[in-house]
Amino acid sequence: MKTLRLFPLELGRLLRSRLTWLVVLLTVLSPAAGLILYKPAYADTMLSMYLANPALAGGVAGGILFALLTIFELDRARRSRTDMLTDAAVSPHAMALVRLLALLTAAVLATGLAMLVWLPISMGLIGAVFTGVDYVLAYLLFMGLALPLAILAAGAAYQFTQRTDLSAVLLAAFAGLSLTVWADDWQLCWLNPCVWAMSDDFTNFRLFRTVAWMRLTWLGILAGVWGVSYLCIRRYGKGLLGSLGRSVRRVWRPAIALALLVCSGTAYAAQPFYDNSNPDLTAMTLYELDYAEGVTFLDRTVQVFPDTEAGAVEGRAVYRFQNTSGKEWTACFGVDPGYDLTASVGGEAVPAVRTGYEESNMALWEIALPADGEVELTLEYGGFPKDWNLSSTVQGDPEISGIYLCLENQRLFPYLLNVLPGDEDYPTTVEVTLPGAMLAIPFGTSEAEVVAEHRDGTRTWRYASNSTGGILYAGDYVRQDIQAGGMTIEFYYGRKHQAVMEAAGAADAVRAVVDYCTEHYGALSFGTGDTLKLIQSRVAGGGYAVDGASLLNEEDFTTANLDDTGKGAIPGEVFIHELVHQWWGLGNMFDTADETSPWSSEGLTVYTTYRIVKELYGEDYAQKYYVDQWRQEVDDYFLNFYVRRPEYLEKLPEAERLNIAGSLSGVRHYSEMPLKILKAEQLVGGEAAMDQILHDLFNREVDPAYPYLTYQDFLDACHLTEEELDLG
Amino acid sequence: MEIAIENVSMTYPNGKQALRELDLELKSPSLVGLLGPNGAGKSTLMKLLVSALAPTAGTILADGQPLEKAERQLKARLGYLPQDFGLFDELTVTQFLDYMAALKGLRGPQAAIREVIRAVNLEEKARARIRTLSGGQRQRVGIAQALLGDPAFLIFDEPTVGLDPEERIHFRNLFSRAAQDRLVLLSTHIIEDVQSVCDQLVVMDHGQILFAGTPEALIQSAAGHVGVFWEREAGQEAGLHITARVNTGRGVRCRAVADTLPAYAQPSEPSLEDAYLYLIHLHSKEAAL
Repeated sequence: MKTLRLFPLELGRLLRSRLTWLVVLLTVLSPAAGLILYKPAYADTMLSMYLANPALAGGVAGGILFALLTIFELDRARRSRTDMLTDAAVSPHAMALVRLLALLTAAVLATGLAMLVWLPISMGLIGAVFTGVDYVLAYLLFMGLALPLAILAAGAAYQFTQRTDLSAVLLAAFAGLSLTVWADDWQLCWLNPCVWAMSDDFTNFRLFRTVAWMRLTWLGILAGVWGVSYLCIRRYGKGLLGSLGRSVRRVWRPAIALALLVCSGTAYAAQPFYDNSNPDLTAMTLYELDYAEGVTFLDRTVQVFPDTEAGAVEGRAVYRFQNTSGKEWTACFGVDPGYDLTASVGGEAVPAVRTGYEESNMALWEIALPADGEVELTLEYGGFPKDWNLSSTVQGDPEISGIYLCLENQRLFPYLLNVLPGDEDYPTTVEVTLPGAMLAIPFGTSEAEVVAEHRDGTRTWRYASNSTGGILYAGDYVRQDIQAGGMTIEFYYGRKHQAVMEAAGAADAVRAVVDYCTEHYGALSFGTGDTLKLIQSRVAGGGYAVDGASLLNEEDFTTANLDDTGKGAIPGEVFIHELVHQWWGLGNMFDTADETSPWSSEGLTVYTTYRIVKELYGEDYAQKYYVDQWRQEVDDYFLNFYVRRPEYLEKLPEAERLNIAGSLSGVRHYSEMPLKILKAEQLVGGEAAMDQILHDLFNREVDPAYPYLTYQDFLDACHLTEEELDLG
Repeated sequence: MEIAIENVSMTYPNGKQALRELDLELKSPSLVGLLGPNGAGKSTLMKLLVSALAPTAGTILADGQPLEKAERQLKARLGYLPQDFGLFDELTVTQFLDYMAALKGLRGPQAAIREVIRAVNLEEKARARIRTLSGGQRQRVGIAQALLGDPAFLIFDEPTVGLDPEERIHFRNLFSRAAQDRLVLLSTHIIEDVQSVCDQLVVMDHGQILFAGTPEALIQSAAGHVGVFWEREAGQEAGLHITARVNTGRGVRCRAVADTLPAYAQPSEPSLEDAYLYLIHLHSKEAAL
């Protein structure tokens, strides 16, 4: 009780110190570093650039500042010998607790002020995709919680050592570990959480959950360590061990510290976000299991119930098998490692054994089944999905929320590993029950339809497929059906992005690109049916496609990207550029291993964009905003000091070198290569000849072992040499 | 308030033995003067009494309760001014006293704060930042915080250091008034400070109590051991400890203490300072033997 009475007084004293206010001011300003210097979130979404990075920078800088303030404040009473008076009135333990609470409150105040100051700035920078929930959670988790961690660490260091110099060294080492050695371990980087991207158009709860778990785990660990250091506060003129010996006589003190350490250790070991898949990525154990002898797959019916509040999934899958062997057999399933599973046959429970082996984000389960000729196996499964451990530094997948989810294969339903398909492959009916605002979009040729609407506002969607697994996207999407290229393009994008998409003339751009590219290069290999779904996906670092569906990475459609004049004169043209990547980049893939080469998917994409724009707006427009700009960029490039004297580039600090190298590489890809292709066009006889060459290249027979379109392939197709395309 | 020190010894981790088997009883109301040369163990004893240190042997009882079990209760009734202390410079005098009042658990402390500010003559500096105060004013803030809350047990370690003569007299009287219904322990090396106000004296040296009793008893113990003589008449007797030399028109007049006064010394009425020096001198001689 006395501690509670002392707290406001100690806080008042702390807030009368000029140093405290200096630290608060610097902490409030520190998010600016995330706009300029410190940019760990490397995705190009608006929230990554203008929310995640400032908040992360604020966390690192604020954490370090508050740690130093903590050491200074704890040492101050001792240095000024004020402790001689205070210790005679209350125990040093009570004072330590009060000082800790006061410092924590000052940290809360600094975080709150930072959030207030940066709110209008963030809203202005982020624009239409700003949301209060993302803002508050990002600042609280990325920045706010770094401060108490640093205060606890610094406080513990001081209470152990009773020396400012040693405490500062220990703190520097601890922070240094987080920023270097532990930077790629999502559970250890206590100061700078692994945040690579935030989604603009969809939710970020999975990311927030992982960061919160890490922060709270460390909060427990450091509170426990602080608790141990609290026992070492020097008393009665004794040293560290003597004081410890006296303090532990009150058993509740070490008991609390120990309980915190045990709880946080358990939280560390039992984290629910990442699996323990075999780190050997070449391992194919699950895919090389022997097929069950004489057993074939008949059909499968699945009901999936995503819990969009908890980010979890529950489901029920009924499998029917034909067994002609007359023997008992074992069905093997790959299940999301975060799920639990129970099995029954004909209403009777049968043992489902989790083997303990995990590979490729699947836990191997085995279920012994009877020798019956036809077996109906029911699996009840569910839980909080675990992500593949190899993607622990690119957090955020799988996101499950009220406006977005993506359930892939073993996350959608147990993935059957050892049963041969029947005559119709793996006929499957999937029913998924979703909040009313969400559209279900099977990734592929299947079409989902609503089969039931429930009183709680949810709707059940049903679709059929016949593949082994399956991918389901669902979200608060806007759907636009566009007739182009002789097919219907189902264009799905997040409702939050609607204003940006409409401003960029997205539907017109889709039509123009699909018409042009289909006519000139051919239909997309994954769009051979009557429809092609173009689905804007949550930021994922890239896209992919299957028959009937292709992803558009949301990173490519941010306001910042659409305003990038290097890709197009106006946002609509950047949109065209990004869609052309469906042909050059996804339909045909490019290997970009050689950083110094101008060859990449960008060259042909920029060239094709120029050709489309030329067709849409005329030759003069295309000449002015494309060809002339390329020439200017390339002229500047060859005048660049570091291009003429590359040996000096090597001498620069790494960050600066990478920055300059990246900028030069951009010119090579976005300006030099399109100019070379334009030169090739002239050398091969004009646009029609080049179109034919590109058509042939696009439709060439691809080597599955190396499915990339190389520069040499292009040169060979043009019957030209590299030297002939030299721009000098 | 009753403090009982029973067979208390204190040895520091570096091996230095600061107190040896001390036995002492202190009862309120009383103003106890604690005298002794540097290194006698006075500060160590006071740190033990405020639980800044724990004895390596023996027990200290506060109102019959072992101090290690009654530490919190003792602190609630304690006012302590250490010899070497600091203040929070960024606070004003009133804010600092408000802070200390909260540490002591005082509720509604404004009247008590005004009272102690008046008692230490700091009314004009009540709103001044502590960083602007002189050394003597800081010392008075220290005394004020000890007086806060009307504690039953007051411990002052060299409280008059840095004060001018007028202030010293003022505070001597203040301590005397405070001791009318409380236990006040006053450690000093200035005999004048204790001579006029203390009703009990404790003299320490080398970690031991040499004397505990009234000032009159201490003076009485030196009767017949104090003498005066002209320096020119003095011989080279061993055991004669000169306590004062005064230049006069007739030569240098010396005052000395000794077990046995030489023939040329005229016996003189001992003062408290003579008695204290005789006791220390005697103890040093015994220790040397």
